Amino acid sequence: MVVSERRLAIPNNLITGILLAIPAYFAGVWLGTLFGLDDDQNTGVILGYLLATVAFLAGVGFLNYPLERLFGWRVTPIADPVENAGIGRFFRLSLDHKVIGIQYLVTILLMLLFGGIGAMLIRTSLLVPDSTITPAGQYIALIGLHSVMMIFITSAVIVGPFGNYLVPLMIGARRMAFPRLEALSFWVVPPAAVILAAATFWGGFPTGWTGYPPLSEQAGQGMDSYIVGFALIAVALVTSGVNMLATIIGLRAPGMTWTRLPIFVWGIFTTSILGLLAAPVLASALIMLGMDRTLNTTFYVASNGGSNYLWENLFWFFGHPEVYIFILPAFGIIMEIVPHFARKPLWGYRTGVVGLFGVALLSWFVWQHHLFVSGIAPVLRPFYMLSTELISIPTGIIFLVTLGTLWRARVWFTVPMLFCLGFLFNFLIGGISGVYLSDVPTDVTLHGSYFSMAHFHYTIMGGEIFALMAAAYYWLPKMTGKMLSPLLGRIHFWWMFIAFNSTFFPLFIIGLLNMPRRVASYNPDLVGLNRWVTISAYFLFGSMVLFAGNLIYSWFFVSRPALANPWHARSLEWQVPTPVPARNFDRVPVIVGGPYDYGIPNARPVADLGGMVGATGGG
Amino acid sequence: MAVRTQTYDSAADAEVALDTRLVAVGTWLFLGAEIFFFAAWWFAFFYLRALNNDQAWKAQGIGAPSKGYGAVVLVLALLAAGAYWVGSRAPSGAVLFRLLTPVALVLGIATCLFQGYEMWHLGFGMTDGGYPSVFSGLTGSWVVQFALATAWLGSIVTQSGPAGDTIARRKPAGSFAWILLFLAAVGIINYILLYLVA
Repeated sequence: MVVSERRLAIPNNLITGILLAIPAYFAGVWLGTLFGLDDDQNTGVILGYLLATVAFLAGVGFLNYPLERLFGWRVTPIADPVENAGIGRFFRLSLDHKVIGIQYLVTILLMLLFGGIGAMLIRTSLLVPDSTITPAGQYIALIGLHSVMMIFITSAVIVGPFGNYLVPLMIGARRMAFPRLEALSFWVVPPAAVILAAATFWGGFPTGWTGYPPLSEQAGQGMDSYIVGFALIAVALVTSGVNMLATIIGLRAPGMTWTRLPIFVWGIFTTSILGLLAAPVLASALIMLGMDRTLNTTFYVASNGGSNYLWENLFWFFGHPEVYIFILPAFGIIMEIVPHFARKPLWGYRTGVVGLFGVALLSWFVWQHHLFVSGIAPVLRPFYMLSTELISIPTGIIFLVTLGTLWRARVWFTVPMLFCLGFLFNFLIGGISGVYLSDVPTDVTLHGSYFSMAHFHYTIMGGEIFALMAAAYYWLPKMTGKMLSPLLGRIHFWWMFIAFNSTFFPLFIIGLLNMPRRVASYNPDLVGLNRWVTISAYFLFGSMVLFAGNLIYSWFFVSRPALANPWHARSLEWQVPTPVPARNFDRVPVIVGGPYDYGIPNARPVADLGGMVGATGGG
Repeated sequence: MAVRTQTYDSAADAEVALDTRLVAVGTWLFLGAEIFFFAAWWFAFFYLRALNNDQAWKAQGIGAPSKGYGAVVLVLALLAAGAYWVGSRAPSGAVLFRLLTPVALVLGIATCLFQGYEMWHLGFGMTDGGYPSVFSGLTGSWVVQFALATAWLGSIVTQSGPAGDTIARRKPAGSFAWILLFLAAVGIINYILLYLVA
């Protein structure tokens, strides 16, 4: 069999993807309507979304490789990235991990804006105790869109931009293990976000992010957006997990032993394990839900041999590891950044790694605490209560590692460090309130209230988003070549920290006063607290606008070039020039020292870079 | 600390060794994800069967499809995976590889066609309760994945020419045998559950 030199002649970029996706959607709807078994056009909508996604990916260029293979054409090799490739590279399929990191960052920030506007609309609705501003049906649709969009974002907000950009640099690799998979993990995210947002045209979906049947079985076509969008995020988690893990296992530079691996990379490693194994369970559950809605199977129909508990078990078997998918890389960021600004070695490095793995392992044994109020067998309650409480131990270890690093340190209070300290404060409150909620009696009382909502916002927004901000101020100079304004950064931190706590701490009180979540109307006695929270939420949104303003101001108006190593850090990513060369390193570096050997007399430099200039050292 | 290094005769050899290792690691990781994917379906099987809500796990008059026909599909899948496994373990450029890979491809296509035919002639509808739902979903998910794997196998065959990707990357292509074997093993479990335990 002779291999041909032919090539596909379609220009592959974002525009081609969009142009192909639109007719593909309508073709899918038409086909689904023609052959669908259901009366509600769910088949058409789901088929439309799926075909549109495949067409979009084809337009971007993802089918070239498999088709070249299948047609027996010569396979286009993965080209080395080139220097100064221009801004167009961000709008087409790139296999350069640095470009993919930036693509992720911009996409996620846009999604964050969408989710944030949803939050503002929710809080605006709650300015009055009845549902006069937003009718109950629209309110629950808003809750659903906000929550699922935020789950999409927080699944990828650290691994996507920072994991993809930094992991190869931190382990001394010139590329990722599977660049095509890496790119795919990004390019399914924009269709997922658009499909989810498209639920608005169908009136949204009424289930929140948990998608419980029978409501999800009976909901309108907005629910189809939930199914396909979430399934695409599952694809992103699996492809990203395979790529990240294979990269860390197989592409570490010589001398980059497991005990020299930066702790942030350990955070990415553990979260990738969870994403890789948990997301397929979600995918299966979503296929079952999709089949129920289109082919009239009865997986979740109790009256015909199914059970809604099947969904609850499968969903939370994914859903609880999912919350650690959010937070493990955040732990990694905090433990990574603190030693650099404490100018001390990371206290208890190995213990910290054990803590990360402890959290990852235990996260598989707790999912039924979400079912305490849905009819779980009473005999199972103590086990899941205890397993949930146990998670506080490895989490506490991670806290101790961070606090031990800060102990007697001469802390350099940079903006990233301020966000790390903010993280510790917020996550402590979020974590401790979680221990209360793991207790069966407390959970049964507070599960449906704002107390639970305050708890997870303290962990996700107070935890992960503060860690995200720390990462942004710390690493964006390396990623973009521009320093962010430290003055605006400090104002941003204090503004966001105060506004965040002013928004979410009163929600604990509101929850204890029995205000139910996901309901548009509430007891008029609580109007004062709710108005306080809403005004604080506006301020919190304002702090994010200030962050965006800092990005624009620093990049376009001041444009202060970043030094190669502005923080005098030891870790490997800071030892290469800024902007990072196309192939990362002149030659594969040989690692000879640890990344956190601050203050250690005669500590060796972190790596032999073969004469590459970039580092200003750090000691 | 001494730095362990591996030496190779040429940069190309080093690249092939690295490629082989990465693909092997990636394959095993992917199979980890696959186990969790199918485990969710097996959980659905046992859960709904044990609950038997409204006595509708299997409505009256509904039985498992023909065991013999299911066995034919399973045997075809096993033969496809086995043929590629044996072929991929042959020395580089061996006749055995060139012979067995197309055989595996034909067997893979036959597996998908036979399974597809069975699914159109089940003797029950998907709305007929828990068992029909699980049968359709689990078998459907399996055959879709087997079809995708067969398509990839097809690309291995079409790239077997002198300048093709398969010849340049014979060792990495060997890892693909694990995916076919895994799907065949899933087929065995599915057969036991859906045809024998039911």
